[in-house]
Amino acid sequence: MGDQDPVVVTENLTKRFGEFVAVDDLSFALPRGRILGFIGHNGAGKTTTINVLVGQLRPTSGTARISGADCVKDAKKIKWLVGFMPDTFGSYDNMRVREYLDFFGAAYQIRPSDRRKRIDEVMEIAGATYMKDRYVESLSHGMKQRVSIARTLLHDPDVLILDEPANGLDPQARIEMRKLLLRLAAMGKTLIVTSHILPELSRICDTVAIMHHGKLRAFGPLDEILKELSQQRSIEIQLASPGQADQVAKLVRKLIGPDVEVTSSTTEGVVRFPTTFSERALANLLSKLVEANAAVSQFRELQTDLEDTFLAITQSEKTQNDTQPPAERAPTSKPGGAE
Amino acid sequence: MKNPVIERDLIGVLRLRKTLAMQIGSAVLMSGLVLLRWPTDARADLSGMQAQDVFRIFGYGLGLTMLLLVPAFPATSIVREKQSGTLGLLLNSPLSPSAIYFGKLVGVLGVAFLPLLMSIPAACACYVMGGLSVNDLLYLYGVLMMLVVQLTAIALWISSVSESADGALRTTYGVVFLLTVVTLGPYQFAHGQPWPSIVHVSLWLRSASSLPAIMEILGHADAGLQGLVGTKGAPQRFTTIAAATAVVFSILTILRLNPRIFDRSRSQGIITDDRSRAQQWLRRLLFLIDPQRRSGEIGSYTNPVLIKEFRTRRFGRSHWMLRIIAGCAIISLGLTYLSSSGSLDWGVERVGGLMVVLQVGLIVLMTPGLSAGLLSAERESGGLALLQVTPLSPLRILTGKLMSAVLTTLTILLATLPGYLVMIYIKGSLRQQVLYVLVCLLLLGAFAVVISALVGSYSRRTATATAASYAVVSVFCAGPMFFWLGSGSLGHHTVESALLISPMAAALSVMEVSGFETYNLVPATWFIIVFITVILLVILTWRTQQLLLPK
Repeated sequence: MGDQDPVVVTENLTKRFGEFVAVDDLSFALPRGRILGFIGHNGAGKTTTINVLVGQLRPTSGTARISGADCVKDAKKIKWLVGFMPDTFGSYDNMRVREYLDFFGAAYQIRPSDRRKRIDEVMEIAGATYMKDRYVESLSHGMKQRVSIARTLLHDPDVLILDEPANGLDPQARIEMRKLLLRLAAMGKTLIVTSHILPELSRICDTVAIMHHGKLRAFGPLDEILKELSQQRSIEIQLASPGQADQVAKLVRKLIGPDVEVTSSTTEGVVRFPTTFSERALANLLSKLVEANAAVSQFRELQTDLEDTFLAITQSEKTQNDTQPPAERAPTSKPGGAE
Repeated sequence: MKNPVIERDLIGVLRLRKTLAMQIGSAVLMSGLVLLRWPTDARADLSGMQAQDVFRIFGYGLGLTMLLLVPAFPATSIVREKQSGTLGLLLNSPLSPSAIYFGKLVGVLGVAFLPLLMSIPAACACYVMGGLSVNDLLYLYGVLMMLVVQLTAIALWISSVSESADGALRTTYGVVFLLTVVTLGPYQFAHGQPWPSIVHVSLWLRSASSLPAIMEILGHADAGLQGLVGTKGAPQRFTTIAAATAVVFSILTILRLNPRIFDRSRSQGIITDDRSRAQQWLRRLLFLIDPQRRSGEIGSYTNPVLIKEFRTRRFGRSHWMLRIIAGCAIISLGLTYLSSSGSLDWGVERVGGLMVVLQVGLIVLMTPGLSAGLLSAERESGGLALLQVTPLSPLRILTGKLMSAVLTTLTILLATLPGYLVMIYIKGSLRQQVLYVLVCLLLLGAFAVVISALVGSYSRRTATATAASYAVVSVFCAGPMFFWLGSGSLGHHTVESALLISPMAAALSVMEVSGFETYNLVPATWFIIVFITVILLVILTWRTQQLLLPK
């Protein structure tokens, strides 16, 4: 398998729990060495997808493959190909960190002589060497996350699937976790990372998958998705005279069309509106505002980040749902144990 | 002022379905026990003997229900709040530690008294049969209420010092066994000896157990005295001791209810490998197995789950196992020596019977604690998801887990062998009987391990799994004994049929202990237990696969 060949592939993957569709017709292909940010609300279907990929859930229909191995038919092979870090630590009492890693190393049938060396290596990579003699249950949350990552690396898997690795970490620990994940990617690992902390995710991911109500709403390189969404730009006009805000908003609405949602704030002295106008059209708009004696001090485009993109996608879905009769909407409750 | 803790702990629990099930269950159980002995013909029993029989079964049944049910609620009450963080909120509220404690005490007592209340109709039925006075019933209920108060106070204290709910449960049931059975031991040896002060102390020590008090009220001879003249007044002594222990443990628990309750030192300590060579040697000499040394890697051909289970258990590490085995061996030898040299008139059979009862007690006490959490603890801690993604097969995981419980049970049972060896030395003809007894105990151990693991596999919480397993194993061991208690009127055949599923009864019959020598239970009991255990093992294997394979 070549370096550019997709290493994680899902085709029409669907998982139902009774009537509830947790994952609906999910198809994507992730090339080797990428870091995929898996984004979605609670109940969007992220964890269900991950559980199918690691072989803990059988899909209702469709397929999921990792490095060519089918997640259902080649379940045993998948265990060697994937390193999985669930959102719970899976702590064992009365065990020291080294013993904890030794147990999982033995479970992966690593020979005792190689295991000792491997444990040292993974603890070094995860920055956990200093905790080797500590009791697992006495570790802080950040330390446990490091040990967890060391555990996923023990059998040197191709793909690492990390469910909420930054969850509950303090800012310093989050920065360290980010560096660690980037280091793993530099080692050639393919990473699938879920997180609710989107700015954090945007700093490490090169590919993004946005899920909503079990469906894949966006998938692709982060830059492209941001660019695609920024076709709908947000413009902010800063006024030197805040009192003019309402008047300017009226004028903007008149110039760009009555359907556009123009908001204004007289306390801040700003007017904001979304638009698909070209640069030239926007220049015309500005000159008309100036002609109308609007005291414009700044006329700028607001930066779009992953959070805005996510909200834009999921809210447009919500708006669509709100206009549908209730029976046609996707269910929002989650079944026991699954997202 | 209303105590909000009572409202939450009592009213909240009373609204649960399982509380309703417990009430109905205890009412059905008590009524069933009475119906079992209800007269079926029109002849009147003027002597009141039949009524006394019914009353005995009812009394012992109620006592056993209290011993099994009551500790489960208070044992987890404080530790669960500690784990969920709500205890911190309570301690930060204007409620005083004593208000929190009494809120919990009243809440738990309210729930614990329910089975007693539900048994009143059955008690009335006993009274209607005649041969009983109201005083008999009042004494019985008085003793049982004191038992509930005593157990609740002790269990709440254990809950306050424990770090996990299942650990608290195990310790509490251990203490219940200690209080109910082990405290009877010293008096057995001291009774009739010319040491008045020791006899007096051991008499009060045994009064901590509710058993002699209940036996006296139910008109049975004193526990284990075999015809020797017993001392009257056990209910009064038990009431005094129970009240005193309840007060002491209540004070201790109230003292624990402060923010320091959350302090937990879990220092890694100094690792022996990092010490000087001389210190390393000295520690090896002193500890035999040094707890502070770094463990070696798990061997290539060893089941890693087996080693993990031993390492994660509080007393599962080699140095602890060594101490437990040594302790068991010494106690077993000591018991045999004391009983054979101090009370020659007892006979080896009786000593053997005592050892069988103690070993069964040990199995009932140990195996649910060892096995109930084998799968439920993995589910509770999230370890199951990690095991699922390893290449370990469900069968290998189950084997490793079961073997860890079987080996521990086996090792501790074997540690009691020296006692039997002394018996064989005293009476060589006992060799085969001892062998049969060991088979019975091993089968009971295997059965208890498998059924506890199976019961535990259906629960997501280790504490619930442990409590349920204790109840199932205890009922299995004690249930057939109720038939034996009623052997006067049930008939030999009926009692023998009931005892066929009891390895304890089989062991006692093999040892020809008084009351069991007429029953012929071996090898039928062995076949039955092996058959049941195999069936349970098949179900457990299926259940493990269901939990570990993709859903």
